[in-house]
Amino acid sequence: MDHSFDIVIVGAGGGGLFAALEAIRTNPLATVAVVSKVYPTRSHTSAAQGGVNAALANKDKDDSVELHVFDTVKGSDYLADQDAVDYLCGQAPLVVRELENLGAPFSRFADGTIAQRPFGGTVKDRCCYCADKTGHTILHTLFEQCLRQGVKFFNEFFLLSLEHDDGQCQGVVAMNMRNSSIEAFSAKSVILATGGHAKMYWNRSSNAAGNTGDGQAAALRAGIALKDMEFIQFHPTGLRKSGLLVTEGARGEGGYLLNRHGQRFMSRYAPQKMELGPRDLVARSMETEILEGNAFTSDAGSYLELDLRHLGAEAIKKKLPQIRELCMHFEGIDPIEEPIPVRPTAHYSMGGIDAGMAQTAVRGIYAIGECACVSVHGANRLGGNSLLDILVFGKRAGQEAALEAPQRKARPVSPAAVRKAADEIKSYASHERYERYGTIREEMGRTMADKAGIYRTEAKLRSGVEEIKTLRERFRHIRLFDTGTVYNTNLFQILELKNMLDLALCVTATALERQESRGSHYRNDFPVRDDQSWHKHSLCTLQENGDIRLGTGPVTMGKYSLEARSY
Amino acid sequence: MERREVSFRIYRYNPQVDRHPFYDNFKVAVEKGITILRVLNHIKEHLEPRLTFRAFCQAGICGSCAVRVNGISRLACTTQVWDVLTGSGDDPILVEPLNNLEVIRDLLVDVDPLMEKLKQNSSWVAPAIPEQQMGCKEHIVSETELEVIDSATDCILCGSCYSECSMMGVNRRYISPPVLLKAFRMNNDTRDTIGAERLQQVTADHGLWDCTHCYRCVEHCTKKIAIMEGIHRLREEALERRMTKSEGARHAQAFFDDIHDSGRLKEVTLPLRTKGVAGSLGMIPLAMKMGLKGRTPPLFMKKIPDIKHVRELYRKLEIRAVVKRHAVRQTERLQ
Ligand SMILES: Cc1cc2nc3c(=O)[nH]c(=O)nc-3n(C[C@H](O)[C@H](O)[C@H](O)COP(=O)(O)OP(=O)(O)OC[C@H]3O[C@@H](n4cnc5c(N)ncnc54)[C@H](O)[C@@H]3O)c2cc1C
Ligand code: SF4
Ligand code: SF4
Ligand code: FES
Repeated sequence: MDHSFDIVIVGAGGGGLFAALEAIRTNPLATVAVVSKVYPTRSHTSAAQGGVNAALANKDKDDSVELHVFDTVKGSDYLADQDAVDYLCGQAPLVVRELENLGAPFSRFADGTIAQRPFGGTVKDRCCYCADKTGHTILHTLFEQCLRQGVKFFNEFFLLSLEHDDGQCQGVVAMNMRNSSIEAFSAKSVILATGGHAKMYWNRSSNAAGNTGDGQAAALRAGIALKDMEFIQFHPTGLRKSGLLVTEGARGEGGYLLNRHGQRFMSRYAPQKMELGPRDLVARSMETEILEGNAFTSDAGSYLELDLRHLGAEAIKKKLPQIRELCMHFEGIDPIEEPIPVRPTAHYSMGGIDAGMAQTAVRGIYAIGECACVSVHGANRLGGNSLLDILVFGKRAGQEAALEAPQRKARPVSPAAVRKAADEIKSYASHERYERYGTIREEMGRTMADKAGIYRTEAKLRSGVEEIKTLRERFRHIRLFDTGTVYNTNLFQILELKNMLDLALCVTATALERQESRGSHYRNDFPVRDDQSWHKHSLCTLQENGDIRLGTGPVTMGKYSLEARSY
Repeated sequence: MERREVSFRIYRYNPQVDRHPFYDNFKVAVEKGITILRVLNHIKEHLEPRLTFRAFCQAGICGSCAVRVNGISRLACTTQVWDVLTGSGDDPILVEPLNNLEVIRDLLVDVDPLMEKLKQNSSWVAPAIPEQQMGCKEHIVSETELEVIDSATDCILCGSCYSECSMMGVNRRYISPPVLLKAFRMNNDTRDTIGAERLQQVTADHGLWDCTHCYRCVEHCTKKIAIMEGIHRLREEALERRMTKSEGARHAQAFFDDIHDSGRLKEVTLPLRTKGVAGSLGMIPLAMKMGLKGRTPPLFMKKIPDIKHVRELYRKLEIRAVVKRHAVRQTERLQ
């Protein structure tokens, strides 16, 4: 079955849903469909616990958009594009209030206004939150509003390819997961909102199983560049065993980080901000503590402690209930009584589809949210800025696509594109194949954690690139064990692995290329920022032969000029 | 680290090849601290790649992975194997798909009916603010106002209560507990404007009044939400809004009377009093179906483990019920 819409949105996380909502509200005549491989409320936006930044000035009366811009630019290690940051922070109070207006249950101050709390890397307390279920409640609110507006959902449809005709959008090809039927979705505009790709670190990742960068990989194959892929944020506090995340809110509320000598070691690395330094700095400090032997050791690896006990049972239960539950389920400890064992975990992908203010190089194709690189996060994203990013740019893309749709001519997806996708899938089953999915995926995860982790060197990255190339080669022999057509999870795993491998090559290759340290990208062999040679975005595109071509692009500056970044 | 071999008995069904569902057995060496989801992943990766189930966040927040473990609906990703061992620990752990939803394959069910019911019952806030003024200013909401709906916003739509609900077991068109919970959450949000309309929707046939008060939804909610408090509040609101003409409302009235008179619910005669003799005849098939499923009313009551808590709730309710009943009768007399 083939479909035709004015606007097709791929991804039903916070970004995709806000885009859909805004498109319908902007142009009620436009036909809008949302295609997603999971039911909307399952999307990974639900996992965001901490909150969303907006200079509402409900807490610190002297907070302002200006200060939010400054924090964001400085946090990005001056790699963010400042026009995009201005827009992000300027729109922030508006979108947060809008969400509130639509029913999001934000926590409140005693005067009934939206409550705000401190978050890492900011000079003012501006993080708005719903207890520690911010992403969950935002996602549900947006889903509810989409139901209200009658948005058409294609749930459990898997994006296979992105189609354009010489720089003009045609639509996408996707598979109905229930029956494996491959269907064309022709669209005047496509908005990609497929979320991040940090799951390529597998066990050392806080991400959901499906954060495999499918949209990014599809864009790469469609000839669209990926930007700043070397920048992967490691969150300081992943649970020791599972990598699952303990929100920065836990430190925002006053939690301590301790090494095995019982010291608040952050005093050595960020004496001012202590535990609330920016993420890259805290994660690196923790890794240093681990490497220097100051960490606790266990079967599940080295770890440090996040101590909440001094906050008291009352505060923990009221403000961090989910964290408490998480610790009990996955570590078997109660943070009211014991410190939480933590270590850094891959968490967020700053890089993604090259999209200036949401628009990609292909007319009619937009990319927003974690799959995109607009770029507002530069080399390091501030906590609470990512939910903001998906809302602000989701809304913008929805608006623009809706205004643009009536003026664009429809260029349907060609039957050949559908056939090509079908042939590829058939090939996984028909070849004489022997490689196992699980083995390749394990090796990919290990390679990424060991060779492109928190501390990087030329030697490590070089072997990282080689290993990923070998894995890509081995992938060509991967065996699809399940040849059925009813919800073939085996097939989806393989498609996701293919996407992750392509993106892993981009991450390792750009990390090798960038001979400096900036934000989340830290090179032991080039420990300082080198603005002379590297104050620029990295770009990668896919060549015919499957190799990656590297390039660079300029950074848009604004009010704030380059400065050393210290906290 | 404590470690033991555990047997798992897993429901399998691929409509493409299997004429009937069957059970597959697997033995897995499990460490203490491992969840059911980790076991399912292990089986899929090393023993049977075709095993089909949903999972996404692996952190108990996305609601994808609900299955029945030893007959009880729960999240695979937050259920520790050690907590569900039975017998001397050697009995196989039974893993099956959720009840009351069509199985698509193995442990994976079709949740579309739940989504559809959310849509039919206006499960959203319809704010008073006009479109053009969206985002201009915040509503002022007090902490106490928020507190009323706070725990209801924890719902992750995992479907566990949907699977456990005894009314769903006999009537799939029943509105279902998470949809009632959403209705409660919306109707008690100070920003919402369509409470009356929504209440009309949820009190239609197969709606609010069909709930049997069995408390199974509360007992098995994966987020420990007191769903019944929401349902009771909705019923009170329906009575306050004088939506008393329907059969369901009369049923509620009789229910309140029972509790008041004897402290017990006379389920057997309840249909007679609300539907009259002719109407009750129509309920015989339903009663038989419930009986066949072992879900006749008296059984409900026995199944609640924490009966003290329930009694206390009932006591509170009783007081409120009496007050309400008098209020309703007063207004009826005046009309
Ligand atoms: C544990 C955790 C905590 C976080 N906490 C915070 C926080 O406190 N504050 C903050 O600002 N940010 C936080 N973040 C980051 C933030 O949650 C994410 O960056 C953001 O939610 C991403 O939203 P999104 O809409 O871009 O994508 P997602 O919510 O990830 O949605 C992606 C969508 O794309 C769909 N999709 C993907 N691939 C395909 C395909 N092949 N075919 C069809 N559909 C597809 C999926 O089904 C899904 O619907 C956190 C992240 C994590 C992991
Ligand atoms: S109390 Fe009502 S809604 Fe809850 S499980 Fe029983 S019948 Fe279903
Ligand atoms: S009410 Fe509880 S059990 Fe029911 S869907 Fe929501 S979270 Fe799941
Ligand atoms: S996998 Fe998300 S709730 Fe279990």
